[in-house]
Amino acid sequence: MGAKRIYAVCAGVHFFLLTAVSLRGIFALVAEDATILPSALDKYARGGEVVLASVLGKDLAASNPARRGIVAYLDAVGSQSGYTFFAPNVPGYYKLILELYYHDGRVEYDLPHVTGGAAALRLDGLLDRLADPGYEPLREVVVKMLAFSIWREHPDVKKIRAIFGSVTPPSISDFEQGKRESFQPLFSYDFSLRNEENQSTSQ
Amino acid sequence: MRRLRAWGNDLIGFLFLPETDKWLTVLRVGLGLQVTVYALFLKSDWQYLFAGTGKGLVSRELGEAIISFDSPFIPKLGWLVALGGHVNIGEETVLSVAWACLLVAGCCLLLGLFCRPAAIIAWFLHLCAAQSGGLLAYGADNFMTMGLFYLMLSPLPDRYSLDHWLGKTKPKNPQLLGFWRRVLQLHLCLVYFFGGLGKSLGSGWWDGSNLWRALIRPPFDIISPDILIRFKYLLPILGISICLIELGYVFCIWMKKTRFIWLVCIVAMHIAIGLTMGMYLFALIMIVLNLAAFGPDFGSLFLAYRERFRPVLPERLSP
Repeated sequence: MGAKRIYAVCAGVHFFLLTAVSLRGIFALVAEDATILPSALDKYARGGEVVLASVLGKDLAASNPARRGIVAYLDAVGSQSGYTFFAPNVPGYYKLILELYYHDGRVEYDLPHVTGGAAALRLDGLLDRLADPGYEPLREVVVKMLAFSIWREHPDVKKIRAIFGSVTPPSISDFEQGKRESFQPLFSYDFSLRNEENQSTSQ
Repeated sequence: MRRLRAWGNDLIGFLFLPETDKWLTVLRVGLGLQVTVYALFLKSDWQYLFAGTGKGLVSRELGEAIISFDSPFIPKLGWLVALGGHVNIGEETVLSVAWACLLVAGCCLLLGLFCRPAAIIAWFLHLCAAQSGGLLAYGADNFMTMGLFYLMLSPLPDRYSLDHWLGKTKPKNPQLLGFWRRVLQLHLCLVYFFGGLGKSLGSGWWDGSNLWRALIRPPFDIISPDILIRFKYLLPILGISICLIELGYVFCIWMKKTRFIWLVCIVAMHIAIGLTMGMYLFALIMIVLNLAAFGPDFGSLFLAYRERFRPVLPERLSP
């Protein structure tokens, strides 16, 4: 009976953490005013999200062992980010277009790519992440790496302009009227690749 | 106090309901297949996805720096690369060996050979890959980690594994088998409940527009929009059905009368996701987890079927 109780307590702690992560994900959606719920509930959802964040140790110092332990445990069980996939709505998607400028004045276009379909899903997820404000500090570095991966295939390129933008798919009725997806540039970066200093501009 | 103790005993009874190890066989074989397919699908891109700065798509070190900031205890491929560096083995070789070990672990799980070490190695290597490529990870990785985590802690080997046949291992404690199945069941209920709740809070799932958007965005755009438009009146029904199936899972999967139909619906939903969106790994892992957690006892089903049709079966097939 003693061993069973220990197992039961461990299961209790395990599911408490999983519920906290999942509920926090729901509160985050409501707090962003992204749901059909009245916006009057936003502040309560934000409050709930803050409480659950502290339950998960998010307000402890980054070096705190309890915080690190919880993060590592949730990663080990694959539950670090809740289960709100494609919720509450399916967002638009993002594209990174690379303009390749050659020494002879030619300009070609390319997209970051991988070989297999399974890896393509992952690349797409990466572009979605780049649009997230939380990834803003990393955006330029990651775009630079993606541009560099293309440059390795075209070593005679002088400059790469990376244009990152959102794609809005047409609604059903728009599609029926002949409208197609629209591309809205969000940021562009210029990378000079011949021992020149990289320049980046945001638009 | 007495009532509290009674509740405690009820909870223990619920958590430790005796089970056979057939569900564990389904989980082991299913995850073995999943790990093997995962490794094979990523074979051509493995080095490209996980190479260090300047060699791959996005630097592995960048992903690892992000997770190390969260917690230095999270396993990552960088640990293995550093370990290889101590014995003068290059990064490329270490990554190739890690991929090969993952494939072998998947095959071992499939066959039931060295079940426990294979489950631990598969969990560890997959977690390393998922975390090091954190910027490139998606839902299927989370569920693979979850399944492998429970598998490595469950009472392996099961009686259909090669380990059992070769080593004649003792039968495992049915209550412990029941406990781990219960944990898996509860976890899936949590997954679908919060997944369904999140979706039902979005207007797009009620009018079908979310399904439309999901099915026409690359790389999920397997079906041409021109074909989809012919079924536009079906999209709201399917969207609402997805919300109801996911939200209802937590209740209907426990009731005897609705369990089978709900399981069929959820498996059908994942097959449809796999086929129409090309998310084969995601579909496979969800089907495996569902069949292991709530799948019927296929042996008993077969016996019941034989019993029912005994009069029409030839004499030699009857028990």
